[in-house]
Amino acid sequence: MGLLDRLSGLLGLKKKEVHVLCLGLDNSGKTTIINKLKPSNLGTEPRALHLLGKHSTTELNPQPQHIYDCAQVQDIVPTIGFSIEKFKSSSLSFTVFDMSGQGRYRNLWEHYYKDGQAIIFVVDSSDKLRMVVAKEELDTLLNHPDIKHRRIPILFFANKMDLRDAVTSVKVSQLLCLENIKDKPWHICASDALKGEGLQEGVDWLQDQIQAVKT
Amino acid sequence: MLKKFDKKDEESGGGSNPLQHLEKSAVLQEARVFNETPINPRKCAHILTKILYLINQGEHLGTTEATEAFFAMTKLFQSNDPTLRRMCYLTIKEMSCIAEDVIIVTSSLTKDMTGKEDNYRGPAVRALCQITDSTMLQAVERYMKQAIVDKVPSVSSSALVSSLHLLKCSFDVVKRWVNEAQEAASSDNIMVQYHALGLLYHVRKNDRLAVSKMISKFTRHGLKSPFAYCMMIRVASKQLEEEDGSRDSPLFDFIESCLRNKHEMVVYEAASAIVNLPGCSAKELAPAVSVLQLFCSSPKAALRYAAVRTLNKVAMKHPSAVTACNLDLENLVTDSNRSIATLAITTLLKTGSESSIDRLMKQISSFMSEISDEFKVVVVQAISALCQKYPRKHAVLMNFLFTMLREEGGFEYKRAIVDCIISIIEENSESKETGLSHLCEFIEDCEFTVLATRILHLLGQEGPKTNNPSKYIRFIYNRVVLEHEEVRAGAVSALAKFGAQNEEMLPSILVLLKRCVMDDDNEVRDRATFYLNVLEQKQKALNAGYILNGLTVSIPGLEKALQQYTLEPSEKPFDLKSVPLATTPMTEQRPESTSTAAVKQPEKVAATRQEIFQEQLAAVPEFQGLGPLFKSSPEPVALTESETEYVIRCTKHTFSDHLVFQFDCTNTLNDQTLENVTVQMEPTEAYEVLSYVPVRSLPYNQPGTCYTLVALPKEDPTAVACTFSCVMKFTVKDCDPNTGEIDEEGYEDEYVLEDLEVTVADHIQKVMKVNFEAAWDEVGDEFEKEETFTLSTIKTLEEAVGNIVKFLGMHPCERSDKVPENKNTHTLLLAGVFRGGHDILVRSRLLLLDTVTMQVTARSSEELPVDIILASVG
Ligand SMILES: Nc1nc2c(ncn2[C@@H]2O[C@H](COP(=O)(O)OP(=O)(O)OP(=O)(O)O)[C@@H](O)[C@H]2O)c(=O)[nH]1
Ligand SMILES: [Mg+2]
Repeated sequence: MGLLDRLSGLLGLKKKEVHVLCLGLDNSGKTTIINKLKPSNLGTEPRALHLLGKHSTTELNPQPQHIYDCAQVQDIVPTIGFSIEKFKSSSLSFTVFDMSGQGRYRNLWEHYYKDGQAIIFVVDSSDKLRMVVAKEELDTLLNHPDIKHRRIPILFFANKMDLRDAVTSVKVSQLLCLENIKDKPWHICASDALKGEGLQEGVDWLQDQIQAVKT
Repeated sequence: MLKKFDKKDEESGGGSNPLQHLEKSAVLQEARVFNETPINPRKCAHILTKILYLINQGEHLGTTEATEAFFAMTKLFQSNDPTLRRMCYLTIKEMSCIAEDVIIVTSSLTKDMTGKEDNYRGPAVRALCQITDSTMLQAVERYMKQAIVDKVPSVSSSALVSSLHLLKCSFDVVKRWVNEAQEAASSDNIMVQYHALGLLYHVRKNDRLAVSKMISKFTRHGLKSPFAYCMMIRVASKQLEEEDGSRDSPLFDFIESCLRNKHEMVVYEAASAIVNLPGCSAKELAPAVSVLQLFCSSPKAALRYAAVRTLNKVAMKHPSAVTACNLDLENLVTDSNRSIATLAITTLLKTGSESSIDRLMKQISSFMSEISDEFKVVVVQAISALCQKYPRKHAVLMNFLFTMLREEGGFEYKRAIVDCIISIIEENSESKETGLSHLCEFIEDCEFTVLATRILHLLGQEGPKTNNPSKYIRFIYNRVVLEHEEVRAGAVSALAKFGAQNEEMLPSILVLLKRCVMDDDNEVRDRATFYLNVLEQKQKALNAGYILNGLTVSIPGLEKALQQYTLEPSEKPFDLKSVPLATTPMTEQRPESTSTAAVKQPEKVAATRQEIFQEQLAAVPEFQGLGPLFKSSPEPVALTESETEYVIRCTKHTFSDHLVFQFDCTNTLNDQTLENVTVQMEPTEAYEVLSYVPVRSLPYNQPGTCYTLVALPKEDPTAVACTFSCVMKFTVKDCDPNTGEIDEEGYEDEYVLEDLEVTVADHIQKVMKVNFEAAWDEVGDEFEKEETFTLSTIKTLEEAVGNIVKFLGMHPCERSDKVPENKNTHTLLLAGVFRGGHDILVRSRLLLLDTVTMQVTARSSEELPVDIILASVG
């Protein structure tokens, strides 16, 4: 996407903007995925990291830190509330509402349903125990008046594929009963947000869907 | 001047404020725009402005509508428009307590506060701290620590100030940030340093030692920020105040050294701190006063103002210290800034000589109309102080006050003048007639109800005693005709007082009152009817009891007793004697209250104090059936020396046939817990100890209360005075001061306390009789007794009066506790109610030759109180 991106930038073409809601249980990897999709130079690289290095030896992060092999080195902490991120695909400009997945904030998702033109629903494929919870939240979402009667595309990421006890994306779609979704286009991708694998495929599908609806 | 501008503004201001006629519902409707994309930043920022305006105008937003608007606003975070984003921060702060689930913006804010845009970071920190409660704080703690030591000053300051706010509810979390704050305190930025010191101080302020260390540490290294210096000076002077004033302390040296600081702000702060230290000596004041003197000739108006204002305050307590500045103050009298000139003149009035008064008064009246009410009040206070100092100047000063009274002015100002005039009238009988007639004139056109009723009350009280009482009637009756109901009611009462004291006027008063019986207002009608009926009886005793001297019972007590009576209907009529008396009778407004602006109102406190006791005692099962609480001794007596193992203080509560001794105990030994604590009492007279109510447990430093119940002697009711020897008995259990663990085993111990005295004063409650003579007639001479004593050890009348008042615990009426100068006779009038509810009045005529001879006449509606008074005096 690099080349096209720069070209369109040079030509001064403005990309169409779409609003996307990124939902899913806490710890499923939503923020990690969005972050990976952002161009590295626009990342909200926390200044705090530098300051910390300079000033004191206070612990960096209460949670165990992973070392990433990619450009967007970030200390990702659980989201509280939501955060708005932007990234671009070849022909669209995405504004993503990265929602918090923690139980007590999930009821706040609905405030943003009306504006969403697409949904990214992230599932931690290794968290078999909470798969039912994910399904429950999905069903609530699908039955919400602001969502129910809209042909809104839903992209599922069966995330954390790299983990040994992760189940396959087929299994995930079975567990979530995705075949029951009849009135909305949906798609499921296996992904590894740490390496960025599978993300592009998903975004491409989403882009196609949105353009199909609009044109 | 100012006032005129305001008025103009109000009149023409309508069109200039575009936000003036906003409708809440319309604005909230508009806020739906926030949900639309793409976002129009200008439009949205304007709508947010409207919302903020409404909230700040006090418009109430319901939770649901506020939450809806708030969530719509959160969508604006997509826009990167800087103005809009900062409006969002403001909105978040304003709505944090109105909308629900405001934590939804937490991640958005933490992203901004750690982001690249420095303009966002400080405000984001502030907004974040506003929406964060103590449970959420942990999650953002690391960001806060980083922000405190951030190299961008605005971020660091924001974090420090927000931490200060968070201290209130999350002390323990914020406490962990002191290392970061410490680092910020050595910042080169003056604001950051100031804010960091502020936070450090507030974290440590309960630890005196730590505060002292902090002051010495930072002052040793010197501070960059003058603000920080000012704060350290304030902290140091507070510390000094608590250290009961030893001036050898390094803290005082520090403050004094600040008098030589290069920043004027710091110099002023230091001077003002020294001046305000309690018990400051002339020597300590001198350097502070001399820097203030320098400031008096500063070209900066603010400094001149600060200096003269502070000198004005010093002049109240140490006029002589300020005389050195008289010349500089004289120069300020013509200052173009009227506030400075006013303060200079009032200061000179306090320090100057009697001869300068006329000149200064003339000068000040030349621009009285140009200064604000607030300063006019300062002038009035100065005049009030002068009146006390130079009684001969009354005429000049009164005239000045009357001129002021006639001019425009707000309530506070007018009240200050009226207070001042009233106190002059009370102090000086010669000025009474002129004073009253000027006040009469004032109420002819007075917009302040409180003042009008107050003056009517005064007229009712003082008018009938003047040479020509009839001349006041016209003014009073005019009120009935012209004013609204509150003033009319006050006027009716005043009229009745004239009728009650003057037989010649009675017929015409009756006519006037009859007209009031038809008034539209209930209260006015009721009063008129009541007074009319009382006056028509033509009985002095009735007049005294129902018109001239009001109720002496406590009003809340009366309300409670009446309610109780209606709950338990009985054959017996309601007995007013069963109602507790007002603890401190309403005293007349004293001149002190006008000279020092912020006097506390002791009356109120005292009233609630007895209420509290009453309630506490009623909760103790042993004290059921004692009847209403008659009196509680005004101040607890210490039964232990200071700084002993135990601190015991006793309050005596008198009931109609019993005494309850309340012992407030504190155990100051941290390695002991006391259990089952009682105070055993041994009376010298026929008093009988009935029961003890112990404190079950008295741990270190937690006060507890035990009681002893005593029956008053029935056989010899005149034996009112008694001495009790007191011993505290208890079980000691040792405990570990560190863990608080208590030993199972205890041992009995006792502790001898000081003796406790019960005197005649414990049996008498003070009451106020506004009109003593009427009360005296009302009680009548059936049980009057009279005796003459020689007070051989007393050398002056003042001393005699003071002693008698204190000894009998009765209320001095008609200001008879004030002995006029250069007289050798005086009559002291005392009023009280004896336990059981009988009025007792004492007239004591004093004659000073070599020693004081006293003739005591006592009257009561019963014989016993009279006997007791005479027996106890003799
Ligand atoms: N192994 C592995 N770990 C991942 C992957 N994606 C995310 N993680 C880790 O999972 C944890 C949670 O990721 P987040 O992106 O914070 O999850 P989230 O869904 O945003 O969580 P909330 O904000 O609380 O709703 C982080 O420690 C990530 O490093 C993945 O594909 N593989
Ligand atoms: Mg997240």
